[in-house]
Amino acid sequence: MLSHRLWTRLTPYLLIAPTLLLVLVFTLLPATRTLYDSLYQPARRAIEPSVFIGLQNYADLFDLTHYLGGRFLPILQNTVIFVFVSLVVAVPLALGFALLLNRQIRALGFWRFSLIYPMLLPLIGAASIWAFLYSDSIGLINTVIRSLGGQGQNWLGNPNLVLGSVIVVNIWKQAGYYSLFYLAGLQNISRDIYEAADLDGANAGQKLLWITVPLLRRTTLFIVVIAITFGFQTVEQLAALGLGNPADRSNLLLWFIFQNISERRNWGYVNAMTVILVSILLLFTVANFLIFERRGVEDERA
Amino acid sequence: MLKQFARWLFLSLLLLAPTTFAQTEPIVIDFYYPTAVEGPITEAMQRYADDFMAANPGIVINPIYSGSYTQTRETILTEINADAVIVDVAVMLATDLYSFIENAPIVPVQDFIDPLENAEDYTADFFPAMLANSQDMEGVIWSLPFQRSTPLLYYNADLLREAGYEEAPQNNEELIEIAQALTTEDRAGFLLPVAGAFPIWLYQSFAAAYGQPLVDADPTQVYFNTPESLAAIEFMTKIGLSQAEGGFGVGPLGGSAWGDTPAAFTSGAAAMIYHTSGSLTQILKDAEFEVGVSFLPSGPAGDDGTGYGAPMGGGNLYLFNDGSKSEAELAAMWAWVMYLTSPEVQADWGALSGYIAVRQSAWELDPLKTLTEETPQYAIPRDQMAVAVKEFDAYRSIDIQNIINPALSRILSTDAPLSEAPAILEEAQAQIDALLAEYR
Repeated sequence: MLSHRLWTRLTPYLLIAPTLLLVLVFTLLPATRTLYDSLYQPARRAIEPSVFIGLQNYADLFDLTHYLGGRFLPILQNTVIFVFVSLVVAVPLALGFALLLNRQIRALGFWRFSLIYPMLLPLIGAASIWAFLYSDSIGLINTVIRSLGGQGQNWLGNPNLVLGSVIVVNIWKQAGYYSLFYLAGLQNISRDIYEAADLDGANAGQKLLWITVPLLRRTTLFIVVIAITFGFQTVEQLAALGLGNPADRSNLLLWFIFQNISERRNWGYVNAMTVILVSILLLFTVANFLIFERRGVEDERA
Repeated sequence: MLKQFARWLFLSLLLLAPTTFAQTEPIVIDFYYPTAVEGPITEAMQRYADDFMAANPGIVINPIYSGSYTQTRETILTEINADAVIVDVAVMLATDLYSFIENAPIVPVQDFIDPLENAEDYTADFFPAMLANSQDMEGVIWSLPFQRSTPLLYYNADLLREAGYEEAPQNNEELIEIAQALTTEDRAGFLLPVAGAFPIWLYQSFAAAYGQPLVDADPTQVYFNTPESLAAIEFMTKIGLSQAEGGFGVGPLGGSAWGDTPAAFTSGAAAMIYHTSGSLTQILKDAEFEVGVSFLPSGPAGDDGTGYGAPMGGGNLYLFNDGSKSEAELAAMWAWVMYLTSPEVQADWGALSGYIAVRQSAWELDPLKTLTEETPQYAIPRDQMAVAVKEFDAYRSIDIQNIINPALSRILSTDAPLSEAPAILEEAQAQIDALLAEYR
């Protein structure tokens, strides 16, 4: 029989064991395997063993004359633009929405629902609707522009517009979701602080800049981290919005990885790109942990 | 998911069945089929399976809907990679031949055709253009056509008539002339759906019509950087360029998106479009005007300047054997493939799905015969088989498509000006040749 003391010590481990097992089998093992496989090149025939080539897969990806490298770097650049433009537009927009919805306005429920519903729609369906809005010939956007006497644009076919078109869908999808966090954050700010500011004669702008925004700092940090993570993981809407075309100008990293899975001989490159993507995500997650979690501990101590 | 569930269900039923009931173990054929069209496809497959099983006691067909072509390929490659091959017969792209020859244990159907009494007649009944992608350089047939398609020119016959054109454009010059006559403020004269989707498919028709098809019988050769290719791409690009920029000014810059092109046509926003024969049923249903269908107009190739060049598309039947199959199992797999490609099934399948029936004799049978009599547009894709060309396939075909598509897209979308096209083709060809070097 196990002693009571031993039981007490074992219980926490038993409780996390199922989760740990899942993480081990579905996250850590595949991740290790990915890292390992990224150092190999598949042989010409499926039945032959792969060949160890060290970091050659990574070197090829950064070689602009290579058939994948020539596309990898521009696509990485697109991804970074996509993530950061989405971020700097969606986050202030979300704050604005939250501030508006935090007041007593008519039909509040309706406005709140309107903000949240893009998040509830399945992304692939929503993106398909956007694809028709963007359509050059029959799209709503061009129809409106033309009825006002303007010149329609090929939103998904023009290489200079397509990334912007995809970013707009992303912002539409995410901004309402982020504003939920801001709404929650706003409810947590004590009214006393605003009343004190009123007594000091602060105007609305000053209260926003010096009270609301600083006190929402933790919410903002959280949103920034999830926005970056979502951004790098974006893949579904590209399936409906032109598959990364034209000329890869709207192609993003995860879609590019997916595009290359179908060819067995590329598995080394696919694994190397996955390692790069996961490293980028880990970087932000660790940064988040260092800034956000540790500060959380300090705040509680204070 | 569905597939796993179906297998699980099937296996449990098998376990539940009393062993005395089945005196000899039935041969089970796992049949994977993806689909790219709408309609009662699963019901039709189950009906074919039931009919086949009724006529062939001792064989159980297990039809498994396997998603898209890409998903099906990944399922099969994963099974092979894990050394657990479940698939017996699958519908996969006709252009997967060299990928499968390299990666998967497929059996050439030639092995089964040769012992047939009427082997030659049997082979000859398939449209030769459809077999082009099935045969290797020695002429060995590896797969049989099952659900095939080809691009067509769809035109608004009412609009053409109003403008004084009684017939569809026969060649590229007429295409542009009519398109320009029909282009207005809010209507494109001609939509070429090469934006967003895979420009390589329609590009192949222009390349062939200009005299140099992208591929021939040799799977280690791809002809992308050629004068004909350059001329074809220039023509395609000009469709979207305005007349002020030296183009024809009949469609949007960069071409239209694949998915909304039929809707643009049926709503009257485009007078003519290129699209797959698979869209015919939907277009006929949606259009409120007379829909004209014709061959893709010809280009300058050939002695008389009638270079036709519609590529083929769609899926073939492949047989898999990882070495574990008995003669009886292989015979059952072949019987199922023969049944699916029989004129009777093809006449039904073609009428129901909109794919081009692959056997010439199928077109003499109902319901296909009645359909083409009542709606003659359905006969056009069949007739185009006479001038259709092999669809792009080679070793490393997916990689090579992933080189050609962005290269085409850069030029067609004018991301790079036409003056840079020769350099882009040269760079792409160098990357293709580097990939194929080890296969030559």
